[in-house]
Amino acid sequence: MRTAHELTVENDGIADTMILTRSVSRAEVVREICAHLEPYQVGEKPITGETVIAKDLTIDSLAIMDMVMELEDRFDVSIPMSVIAEIHTVDQLADTIGDLRARA
Amino acid sequence: MTPLPTRNSKLTLRRADFRSVPEMLDYAAQGETGVTFYSVRGEILSALSWRQIRERAHVTARRLIGAGFARGERILITADTWPGFFDAFFGAQYAGLLPVPVSVPVGIGGKDAYLEQLKRQLAASGAVAAVGIEDLAGFLADAAAEFPAVRLHGGVSVLEALPEKPVDLRPLGPADLCYIQFSSGSTRHPHGVQITQAALMANLAGMTGPAGLEVVPGDRAVSWLPLYHDMGLIGFTMAPLSTQISLDYLTPRDFARRPTQWLNLISRNRGTIAYSPSFGYDLAARRAANQPDDLDLSSWRHAGIGGDMIRPDVLDRFSAAYEKAGFSAKAFIPSYGMAEVCLAITFSPHGVGVRTDTIDRVALAEGHRAQPALDAQDERRARSFVLCGKVLPGPRLEVRDEEGKALGDREIGRIFVAGPSIMPGYYGEPEATREVLSADGWLDTGDLGYTLKGEIVVTGRAKDLIIVNGRNIWPQDIEWAIESRKVVKNGDSVAFSVDAGEGERVVVAVLARVSGEEGRKTLASDVALAVREAIAVDCEVVLVPPSMGLPTTSSGKLSRARAKANYLAGLYAPKTAAA
Repeated sequence: MRTAHELTVENDGIADTMILTRSVSRAEVVREICAHLEPYQVGEKPITGETVIAKDLTIDSLAIMDMVMELEDRFDVSIPMSVIAEIHTVDQLADTIGDLRARA
Repeated sequence: MTPLPTRNSKLTLRRADFRSVPEMLDYAAQGETGVTFYSVRGEILSALSWRQIRERAHVTARRLIGAGFARGERILITADTWPGFFDAFFGAQYAGLLPVPVSVPVGIGGKDAYLEQLKRQLAASGAVAAVGIEDLAGFLADAAAEFPAVRLHGGVSVLEALPEKPVDLRPLGPADLCYIQFSSGSTRHPHGVQITQAALMANLAGMTGPAGLEVVPGDRAVSWLPLYHDMGLIGFTMAPLSTQISLDYLTPRDFARRPTQWLNLISRNRGTIAYSPSFGYDLAARRAANQPDDLDLSSWRHAGIGGDMIRPDVLDRFSAAYEKAGFSAKAFIPSYGMAEVCLAITFSPHGVGVRTDTIDRVALAEGHRAQPALDAQDERRARSFVLCGKVLPGPRLEVRDEEGKALGDREIGRIFVAGPSIMPGYYGEPEATREVLSADGWLDTGDLGYTLKGEIVVTGRAKDLIIVNGRNIWPQDIEWAIESRKVVKNGDSVAFSVDAGEGERVVVAVLARVSGEEGRKTLASDVALAVREAIAVDCEVVLVPPSMGLPTTSSGKLSRARAKANYLAGLYAPKTAAA
């Protein structure tokens, strides 16, 4: 696996985010996703694994892509565009990241 | 790996004086320059000289011919920025097949919409093969399932699996088509612009010549523009190829993630030519705080803008942010063009940057005249438009009134163009072609504008124009007014008009990133107030949930026509339960 040091990009704020090279639990991934989605929560309805990201929240497609990119950086994975196109829920996104990390 | 050299050691630079794409690749292949692909982190992923691109294309061509594909058949290619696209695209050129580059899926949960789009493109082009990156093999298979004519589909590996047979190449020639370009704004009913070899070469000659970018030895292009878009494929594959210069690529997705990586490549490789729509400069300007101390953009002599309405405010922000990195605002080249003319129509002159004409809003609205504003600082009365330069030597340009009469300077009308690079028509769509192309070869661009001492000033899309009580209102004025007052952000509002019996009524659809009835009410009244203050017109504000989003065209621009259709279909009606 590549080290965090090698992945540092000299000039971009996003790269300052700590990159996790140790193993992470699924709960950690879900927590991270929920932290990104919290600002888009509708009313008191909690964000769960079944939350459909593009439908149940007030997040728009650009912000979703920003979040996916930040998650990719954070967990050091690259989600293929065909896989992204089939993700709807928080659970699916967390599972995808988990699977990609397990394969790395 | 090292990037490919900027200069050819022996080969003399020729400016697009070729008759076809295979001919120009044959010539460029005699040098050392070529295409370098970069990752989001700025590492070289691969580097292919034009010579290698040609050799690989020959192999692909012999496979395609050997597999029995007939001359003139179409091959759909998902146009990611990677070597496989070059193999398939140029392979087709030497096999006598017509490539049909299409976009790649974006966003989460976008599978169904993407499959629908692929199917429409397969139907419109009658493609017999569909290839792309391996990741998309499943989508291509799903889309192709309904099309028995598609004999081969999958990742580019399906091309590589075909046996290379000892057959003669059958390169596309000067009298042939080159490829089919799906034009922007064609998501629902895609129109495939027929790009002919002759028209393409004519436009490339203009684009790279003295009235265009005047490409010289030492030039180097850097691009993140998508290759399924004409500005990406013609402007930043064909034009560098036609002048044998080197080219550095970042994918559009990686540009969106790290806009400053585009600038890093220009700095590192001493890039001289790079283009973007205004929004790309906007993205890069927002990340300007992260620029490294040694960023050096002083080599960048042509910073082109095209592909959307040019926004001087955005460009001002960009040049201010990167001035310390050596960027000169004089490098900006506002340009005007479209797929139907194989790209370029006008270029603004070199070395002068963005020039605007500030005209009187009232005269603009009432008299179809672009009258200079008395007080340029008065936002309510003054409106600035960007001068896009003179028409290239090939095409002719006229601004006409509704009766088809040619208009003089400062008179606003529809922009028409004619000349050697005009398309012969949309592929397989004579009716759609007749709507925009007259028998005597004049193309109705669908844009409104006026001329000023021989230069064109584009004011907006004709079909989007809003007329209220005889007053012309440009929808982007409304949208910009809302954005500039920071009511909502760029791209979150779309303005259009609906027929209200005795006239038009203005509707503004905005994405409601607020929750709660109170927040929604405040947002709606803020929008209406911003529009009333800036444009002096009343509007109906409809709030669109972000989950639904505002409709966009295939190239990501807001589609006012589709927003209007959605509105009329009742999609934006408030939920009664919430009321």
